[in-house]
Parts: sequence; structure tokens; C-alpha cells
Amino acid sequence: MTTDVSTIYLLDVATGGSIEAELRDAIEQAQLDDWQVKWQPALLAVLQDLARNGVPMSQWPQSWHWNWAQKTAQVQGLLAFRGFSVVACGETQGLAQVDLRKAGREPSQVGKPLVYLDYLEVAPWNRPELGPAPRMRGVGSALITAAVALSVDEGFKGRLGLHSLPQADAFYRKIGMTDLGQDSAYQNLSYFEMTVEQARAFLEEE
Amino acid sequence: MVAKRTMTLNLTDAEMRVLDELSVRKDITKTAVLRQALRLYQTIDARVDKGEKLLFENEATKEKAELMLL
Amino acid sequence: MKLERSKDWWMAQARREGGAVIGAGLLAFDPVPEEHGSGAQSAAAEETRIAFGKFVNLMRRRRGFSIEQLAQAADLDASELLVIEDHNHYVPEPRTIFKLAETFEVSQRRLMQLAGLTAANDAGFRQEAVRFAARSESVQKLTLEESSALEAFVAVLSDREPKRVK
Repeated sequence: MTTDVSTIYLLDVATGGSIEAELRDAIEQAQLDDWQVKWQPALLAVLQDLARNGVPMSQWPQSWHWNWAQKTAQVQGLLAFRGFSVVACGETQGLAQVDLRKAGREPSQVGKPLVYLDYLEVAPWNRPELGPAPRMRGVGSALITAAVALSVDEGFKGRLGLHSLPQADAFYRKIGMTDLGQDSAYQNLSYFEMTVEQARAFLEEE
Repeated sequence: MVAKRTMTLNLTDAEMRVLDELSVRKDITKTAVLRQALRLYQTIDARVDKGEKLLFENEATKEKAELMLL
Repeated sequence: MKLERSKDWWMAQARREGGAVIGAGLLAFDPVPEEHGSGAQSAAAEETRIAFGKFVNLMRRRRGFSIEQLAQAADLDASELLVIEDHNHYVPEPRTIFKLAETFEVSQRRLMQLAGLTAANDAGFRQEAVRFAARSESVQKLTLEESSALEAFVAVLSDREPKRVK
């Protein structure tokens, strides 16, 4: 399967200008390599800093203990899973993986198929919670846009579901998703859904 | 959009009815129903292939029923 | 799948993000396992886990490994090793223990007990662990004392010796 590449734009936080980027509808070896040799060391440096400064673990950033190589190997060849990546300046800036087998829980779409955002992570150097100067903005939004667009493309009409990281709850509310409360089956992460209407508004907003 | 190929399906009336019903109930197109079926079938097949069993559990009674496959 | 949106559209989206943190999925979340169970039990587990962290730290340094080098050798996340060495309340996955036991050539069963994944039945083992933890200090170089404390503890961990009789 060939990878489709869409041109997108990110915000350069330092200059306020734009950065041309690629939204790719796959996670490939180059992304796994970036994750291993660029994301991991960057994250490690932050963690060492936190540990040195005695920051309690409960205040540490989320998503630092995840092995992409393992996960992609597990879902290789399965139609139910799709990956997305954002690449800019020759580096992977964000990754996402979706699962197409899940169904809605929000009252208007109970049991109807949706795109479930299995995993979304932005490169450590773009994450505002990891340091004072994130480089690019728009990576997470682009990956969510891709997931909603895929939902439309697959005939799921934009329906989307995800378990939010606690620090990200406010963002999902801001983009109009419905908060369906904490999910005890998922470490009490809040579960959010985007309805057909919400997806339409999200994709059209100009 | 990923390039797709067209294929003619031969379905009985009963099968067609089920496809119609699912399409309405799940609020997806008939093509989407079939593509979803393919995804689920592949998922189940891959897991059964690894030696796993497909079980349905009644949430209230905790009763389990094994769905035979292949 | 191709997305056709104007540059303005993407930039407006990026601006709307503001300073928001965006992430999703259980796999992106790395919760600290909550300690349940009786106070006495977790206190005992905590004691041996202190020894576990020190043990990993000393074994690593004895081999002259940095955290990253050990991560590579044992096929583990460097970030997890960092947490193991510094945080006594972290309970690692069985796979992590397996990899560490393999790398350090000690008993997997004993290391599991030390890490608090399984309960150690004999009080003697726990005492050994506490004694080891108390004797070792976190310093840059392995002191002679640390070395001998480590050697003695490796013997306990290797499971080769007959059961200690108290």
C-alpha cells in the first residue's frame, strides 16, 4: 500500500510564522527510527531533570513508556488499524494510531461504528508540558483532523472516540467533543466522542 | 483517498435484507458494512490462528458461550 | 487518504491549540500503579523495592553502563530504568524483571520478589534485602563496601545457595 502525503502547515512558536509539513497516512520505519533515536533521548533528558529536581512522579508528563516498534509489529497487516504521522523539518513531529472496530457510546450514536483514536502522541520537543519552549503547534490538531477525515472517508460520518490524557481534557472539550465521563475500564481516563454534527463543525471551521 | 476497486457481489434476498438492515442500524453505507465485516473477520481469524478462543459473555449472568470458528 | 485544506485553515487550527497538551489513548498514558493492599504488606514490599532500585543501580554501574547502555543491553526503556532506580513505589512489569534477571544473571524468581511483584515467603530474604539497601549508597563510583555488599546480595539472589535457616 502506498502512503498518501498531504501538505499541511504548522505554527512556528518562536517566530509566529508557518512551517510546511507532511501529514502521512501511515507510520513507517522512518517514524519508528525517529521515535527511537530522537523522541526517547529527548524524553529521557526531561525525566532525568525532573528526577533530579525532585518533582513527584504524579506530576510527571504522561506518555513516556510506550514502545512503537512493538505496537506496530502487533497490528501489521490488520485492516482494523491505521496509522498517521506528521513530518516536518525532516523529523517525525507526531504519531497517531486508530482502531476501526469500535462503536459509539454517546446516546445518539450508540453501537454505530466510529474511528477510535487508539494512540496519539506529539514529539517531546513540541509538548508544552515538557519544557518552556515547544517548537511547533498544530501537530495534535492535524492528527485529530486526519482521524475525523478518515471517519468520513470510511463511511463513519466523522464519528470519533478517544480516551483523553488528563492534561488534554480541556482541549477535546474546546474542539466540541462530548465528555462521557471517566472510564473505569481505562485507568479512569475520560472518554470523549465526536458526533456526526460535531465532526461536521470541526472540519468546516475556517 | 486510497484507490478502490469495484466488485460485483452475488447475494441472496435474505443476505441483501441483512445488509440493508445493518446499514440502517449502524448508520453506515452498505459498502462500509462489508468492509467492517472484513476487518472484524480478519481480527478474529488472526487471534483464533494464534490459539485464542472467541467467547461471548453475558454481562449480567457472567455466562460464557463459545463461538465456533473455522 | 488525502486532505485538501487551505494554509489558513491549518494555521487557524494550530493557533486554536494555544498551549494545550494533546494526547490520547491508554497506551499514551503511563499511570503509576496504585498501591493497594494492607499497610504492613506494602511496607514490606516497599523495603524490598528500595533494595531492588539500589540493586539495579549498582549492577549497572558495576558493568560501567549508563542507563541508556543498560536499556539497550536488556532491551528495555531507558525511561523505565530511570524510574526503577529512583522511585521505590514503582512496580515494574514482569517482562522488565525477566530482562533484568537475564542481563544480570540472577534468579528471576528472586528478582520478582525483590521488585514486589510476588511475595517473598521467608523473612530472611527480606532482611537480606534491607541489609543490602542500608549498606549501599548512591554515589558515582562503586566503593569497596558497595562492591562487597553487592557480591553478597548477588549470591542471595542467584538462588543457588540452599535455603537459609534462621
